[in-house]
Amino acid sequence: MAARDRSAISRSDTVVELSGVHKVYRQRQRSANLSQVLSSLLHPTIREVEALRGIDLRVQRGEIVAYAGPNGAGKSTTVKLLSGLLAPDAGSVRVLGLDPIRDRTRYVSRIGVVFGQRTELWWDQPIAASFEWKRVVWDIPRERYVRMLGLLQEVLGLHEFFHSLARELSLGQKMRADLGMALLHEPEILFLDEPTLGLDVLAKRDILTFITDINRRQHVTIMVTSHDMADLEQLAGRVVMIHRGSIAYDGDFDRLRREYADRRRLSIESVGPAPLLDGAQLVSSAGGRHEYVFDAAHVKIAALLDQASAQTEVLDVETHRAPIDDVIADIYEAWQREAGAPVPAPTS
Amino acid sequence: MAGSSPAWTLRRLLALWRFYGAMDLKWMMRDARSLLLWTLSDVITAISAVASTLLLAARFNGIGRWSTPQITFMLGYALLVGMIPNIFFNYNVAYISRRIGRGQFDHVLVQPQPLWMILLTEGFSPFTTMLGLLPALALLAWPLGRGVHTVTIGWLAAFGLNVVASVAIALSFSLIVGSLAFWAPRAAEEINSSSWHLLESLKLFPLDGMGAGLTATLLTAVPAGFLAWYPSRALLGIDGAGYAILVTPLAAVVAVLLATWVFRRGLRQYGRTGSQRYLSFGHRR
Amino acid sequence: MHSVVADFGRWMVALSAVVLHRYWKTAAMAATSFTGDSLLFLVDYLLRLIRVAVLLSIWRIVLAGRGPVSGMTLATVLTYTLIAEVFAEQLTPRTRLEEALWEGTIATRLLQPMNVVGQFAAEMWGQWAVNLALFSLPLLLLCPAFGVSPRPAGWGAAALFAVSLLLAMSVGLALEFIFGALVVAMQESVWVVAQVRRAVTLLLSGAVLPLALLPWGLGNVFQWLPFASLASTPLKLYTGTGNPLVLLPLQLAWSVLLWPLAGWMWRRYRERLAGHGG
Repeated sequence: MAARDRSAISRSDTVVELSGVHKVYRQRQRSANLSQVLSSLLHPTIREVEALRGIDLRVQRGEIVAYAGPNGAGKSTTVKLLSGLLAPDAGSVRVLGLDPIRDRTRYVSRIGVVFGQRTELWWDQPIAASFEWKRVVWDIPRERYVRMLGLLQEVLGLHEFFHSLARELSLGQKMRADLGMALLHEPEILFLDEPTLGLDVLAKRDILTFITDINRRQHVTIMVTSHDMADLEQLAGRVVMIHRGSIAYDGDFDRLRREYADRRRLSIESVGPAPLLDGAQLVSSAGGRHEYVFDAAHVKIAALLDQASAQTEVLDVETHRAPIDDVIADIYEAWQREAGAPVPAPTS
Repeated sequence: MAGSSPAWTLRRLLALWRFYGAMDLKWMMRDARSLLLWTLSDVITAISAVASTLLLAARFNGIGRWSTPQITFMLGYALLVGMIPNIFFNYNVAYISRRIGRGQFDHVLVQPQPLWMILLTEGFSPFTTMLGLLPALALLAWPLGRGVHTVTIGWLAAFGLNVVASVAIALSFSLIVGSLAFWAPRAAEEINSSSWHLLESLKLFPLDGMGAGLTATLLTAVPAGFLAWYPSRALLGIDGAGYAILVTPLAAVVAVLLATWVFRRGLRQYGRTGSQRYLSFGHRR
Repeated sequence: MHSVVADFGRWMVALSAVVLHRYWKTAAMAATSFTGDSLLFLVDYLLRLIRVAVLLSIWRIVLAGRGPVSGMTLATVLTYTLIAEVFAEQLTPRTRLEEALWEGTIATRLLQPMNVVGQFAAEMWGQWAVNLALFSLPLLLLCPAFGVSPRPAGWGAAALFAVSLLLAMSVGLALEFIFGALVVAMQESVWVVAQVRRAVTLLLSGAVLPLALLPWGLGNVFQWLPFASLASTPLKLYTGTGNPLVLLPLQLAWSVLLWPLAGWMWRRYRERLAGHGG
């Protein structure tokens, strides 16, 4: 679309509307047994998987929404529905006021999509050729192309490998190039499926900063899925957690911590062995430094320190919030327990 | 941006063809060795394809009621019909079952162009394939030079119309068969390889004297008969009936309509199921 | 001494069972993968049936009213054509080597505790098993419907064919790996080489057009090339139109010559394999 003045657009616009969306996959079950191959061909066993069950979701213009959930929860299915690659079995999907499937050509010119496990690059062509392809196929005016290309090359470090063939790039380089391509036409909304997959710490930081930046400056609405919860917490103000096809949580990260578990870490340096603390679990102990995990909603730090002081001489104390990954892992474990699935034994 | 006026459509088509043509040329010119190898490969393939039939005709002084020059003309026509899809529908557009079966059809769906426009332009590879036309032109020129038929403007127009029709029939058949991949992406991924192999091998023989059932099959369900034999027969006047010139173009209209219907059904199925497979090579041959 | 021999024998059997089991399992996996998750793979068989019917009809047109041509009668040519289709895969062995080179997964094959040739051959046999059961056997049974006799020229011809077929598979596999190594050596797209190879093999192997029917004595020249050992030799022996005393030693000679060449080429370009394709 033309580079219109997005600052004039109301920030209360609803750009994504999923209403009662259902999606069911039918999977053919096959035997690994050679003797049963023929029977399974003639009388196949079909397993129905409800990927999405009545999803209702609204996203406002300019939001950054993290879309998280365990494997198989329905995240990728949602992204495909929003990208116009899949149609819902029931319910409706409207993005930017358009039906992604019926209005496909108009719709895809206003969105950007990056799938972490896929690439839009031309395999046997240099990155420059793929970008030029994007310019022609999306009919991007040359001056806008030059401006955006300059910006993207600088921020994403594309100039290092801009004239290399796509097949010769590392995973991280391909991801950066794909992100650049997705933004070249200045989409209004960006769907990112695992965008930091395979990136080193520095590249990850640059990309997260860049995404926050384009959201702030150009009001690009962003929906991002990832298994890296720390990235999502840094990026998004809102997290939608999907579990077995339904939305299990929709809010901010702080409330997520409070509602599910306010896990904290307590680090004590002491003389002698690690003290036994009632209400806290020892996770590591080395060189006199002992790390514990506890639920701050039910256990007071002061009580733990009293216990520790009674057992040993405490030399130093440190406390901080548990990494968000720990919080999410607890949530996933709780869901698995509810479903009756065996929970993997924790590794020491 | 995506519009529907004829001017916009034409502008976009030309821009896309120009772009893909330039991309093909740049890919080709990466090194002279690639250029040489690809053109040599195309020429060798083309010659080998027709060699069996030509040698048979040379051994038996023609095949059935077809003389050697007539057979040569038919083979030139067949090669021409085979090369045109290579020029315009490369990058697995003609082998669409691969794109669908490998989960690469999503790359088509994310482009802001009507599907027909993408499929009509994305495979345009004139430079890597054009020299493969030379054997076809040579096989057509020799018998015409020997007077196998008088060449007039009208005849050339009929020739052009029939060639386009034959190509359309071949592509329609490919699209119909390839659309099976929407329903069975894994099983049908390579089905277009089989279908093209079948057409390419069967189109190289004159089909006069075959049983009615077989001839009917080769003019309907497996339309190899329309890729060289029937139109050549009509153009060379072997059949005798003047209207035969129009039969292949009419068959092409039917084939295109049928292919469109099947493909649309397939697209609806794809919208329901998506693709659970993906070969992670982006855009690739 | 007896117990040592017995122990050794038991150890060999156990080792063979373990080693063979790997290849058997690989073949079984290839067979079940081939059938996929749908009956659509049967469409391929239908297309092949149509092709056979057309080829047989063409021969009837070409050879109608003629006596034996280069020692081949119409009935012989029809049998030749039909058997060529029944054993099409065996007469032109193709593995998934091209695919592995294109996808770049060839390097991961080297991480498997199996001989590379054995891996690809096992997968190929797995696929063959399915095609033999579901296409070749039914085609043989359908011969009367095509008006073609599938019988060999005699029991001796059948035996010679069996031996020749094994040699043909050996030559074919060796060529497969030689062409694969060529792709790696040339650092070129696998499809350039594959395209040329397919085209040339089709003409020179005699699978479609019996070499004896080529004009200008070309067949006599092509018969000495390795491609003729793939299809022409076994089919000539089957139909009793070839001299086994010349053809079988020639096939054996090509097998003996080509395998060391294939081995040398793969060793030479092994380093490039890891980065090829993908």
